[in-house]
Amino acid sequence: MTAAAEPPTVRLEGVVKRFNTTTAVDNLSLDVGKGEFFSMLGPSGCGKTTTLRIIAGFEQPDEGSVFLEGLSVENTPPYHRNVNTVFQSYALFEHLNVWDNVAFGLRRKKVPEAEIRKRVSEMLDLVRLKQKATSKPRQLSGGQQQRVALGRALVNLPAVLLLDEPLGALDLQLRKQMQIELKQIQRTVGITFVYVTHDQEEALTMSDRIAVMNEGVLQQCGTPEEIYERPANAFVAGFIGISNLIPGALEGPGVRLQTGQLIPADLEDGMAPGEAVLLCVRPEKLRLNSRADGDASVEGIVAETVYLGTATQYVIELAPGVRIVAIENNTQTASSDKRFARGSKVVIGWLPEHGRVLRS
Amino acid sequence: MVIEQARIDAPSAEAPKVAGGRPRPRSRGFDAPRFLPVITGLVFVYLFAPILVVTWFSFNSKQSLNVFGTPSLQWYDQLIHDPIITGSLFASIEIALVTMVVATVIGTLLAFGLVRARSHFSRPTDILMLLNLVSPEVVTGVALLLVFSEAGGFLLQFGIQFGLSLATVVLGHITFSIAYVTIIVRGRLAALNREVEEAALDLGATNVSAMRLVTLPLLWPAIIASGLLVFVMSFDDFVTSYFTTGVGVEPLPLRIYSMIHFGVTPEINAVGTLMMVMTIVVVLAALALFTYQQNARQELAFLAE
Repeated sequence: MTAAAEPPTVRLEGVVKRFNTTTAVDNLSLDVGKGEFFSMLGPSGCGKTTTLRIIAGFEQPDEGSVFLEGLSVENTPPYHRNVNTVFQSYALFEHLNVWDNVAFGLRRKKVPEAEIRKRVSEMLDLVRLKQKATSKPRQLSGGQQQRVALGRALVNLPAVLLLDEPLGALDLQLRKQMQIELKQIQRTVGITFVYVTHDQEEALTMSDRIAVMNEGVLQQCGTPEEIYERPANAFVAGFIGISNLIPGALEGPGVRLQTGQLIPADLEDGMAPGEAVLLCVRPEKLRLNSRADGDASVEGIVAETVYLGTATQYVIELAPGVRIVAIENNTQTASSDKRFARGSKVVIGWLPEHGRVLRS
Repeated sequence: MVIEQARIDAPSAEAPKVAGGRPRPRSRGFDAPRFLPVITGLVFVYLFAPILVVTWFSFNSKQSLNVFGTPSLQWYDQLIHDPIITGSLFASIEIALVTMVVATVIGTLLAFGLVRARSHFSRPTDILMLLNLVSPEVVTGVALLLVFSEAGGFLLQFGIQFGLSLATVVLGHITFSIAYVTIIVRGRLAALNREVEEAALDLGATNVSAMRLVTLPLLWPAIIASGLLVFVMSFDDFVTSYFTTGVGVEPLPLRIYSMIHFGVTPEINAVGTLMMVMTIVVVLAALALFTYQQNARQELAFLAE
């Protein structure tokens, strides 16, 4: 987080938003620092877009307050907020050409025409649309339209740029390319980005910090590494990447799995012996038949092998009904006879600190 | 054998370049329309033959309606020197223009209300509007006549003269025109992406300037189209005009009706042709205006707003 002297660019305090009987956003508090690439990640209907619309001013929160650059914006209409949005549908002005689309915001602010010309021209360079200045939006490809929407918002140099699944409509190839481009642009202009997505990979690749939401409730907020390596609960562990969640109960300094083994693991404060928990281990942390000293380990039988190119994925049955996934890089094995076959018995080991105990 | 051959021919005709030969005419599929041009032609003849006959005979040098003499403009000459007909023509244009402006404004506002206001009145208003559209014009005509005479009597108590005149014709035309505007504009408005207006607000436009700079420009085609429709409908309306017009100058359709009492003359052909030309000119002018506007915008992109 940024230095205490500077207020966070965006601050939400206990924000609640209800639509009829459903609560779209439930008691949400978070801070976004200056220049941060902040993502809000969650399945559809988790309240991330509503949160974005609250920050933009299109929705009023039922409870709580929103601060932009340290000031409450309770009664500030969207057009007086120092915030711009890239909409999911791009929402370009079809009747205006690319140049006029990008110049729209500056003209509303009565910026002198010479400056408008300079800034729009620079922005079109940045989003690589100089050649398309006189084209109408419908003459552009999806990726180009997306860049117009981005340029139209960024040219105003807002305190925060809100992006609502901006890459959702693009095909995979273009999406990957735009992810990198977007991140580069963000670094160039140094503007705070609040980015809404349901794509966990996208969030991990681009963000400085991620807020994971589910059913209107903030689940965890942290760096991509924190979220991936130390998920706060089973939802986060399951939503981001693949997780093995093995049920068990706390016992002494570890977890007694349902399969019977006692596994050493780091416990959090406030966990009582006997409590039902889930032991969460990422598949790539598992080592097959190469146990090191101090490893936690279990035995199992390979039930399924899937060749993924760079890696091989094994589904291993620890006990009837308890299966875990292990992923092993194909760094040393170039032929199938070096890999474990279905039905072979394996010992699975991992470092105790890679196991994370979650309340079930 | 013939069928065999056709089957073999078909694929090579689809891909003449692969075969390397000259592109052969595509063989006709079993479901290719054979009589379509003929039927289409007949429909067009049915639709336009009467109009063409009227137009053709309006240039006749003779009085006759079935023998064509030599081409002449004498009926047009007679027409423009007939103060009653020209008076009616200008009255009709005037009525149509006022009706167009008023109905377009009210109809557009109603469309906004129906699409945007989340009110309990939206649905009933919608139904009432459609009712107006389908109710027989004769009934509304008679009803309007009654209302206007009642209103006249009522206003007379306060010393205000209110009788049937061209103004009441305009009022009558407006009543049936609003629904057309609303239906056309509403369709376009409902299809409008709400995020586009939010984008305008987001970029610093107030509600009023978002309307002026974004919403209205996107609605213009629908508004202009509905305005034109209203103009044309008002221009040649007979029934409502018949019940609501007063003494003095008659709207053109009523004038033509009165003229027919004395037999169909070539002069009526000329009036009819003139009305048709006017309608076409209105539509073409609006189209031209619209295309011009779009081109101008494109060319002036780099200049100041």
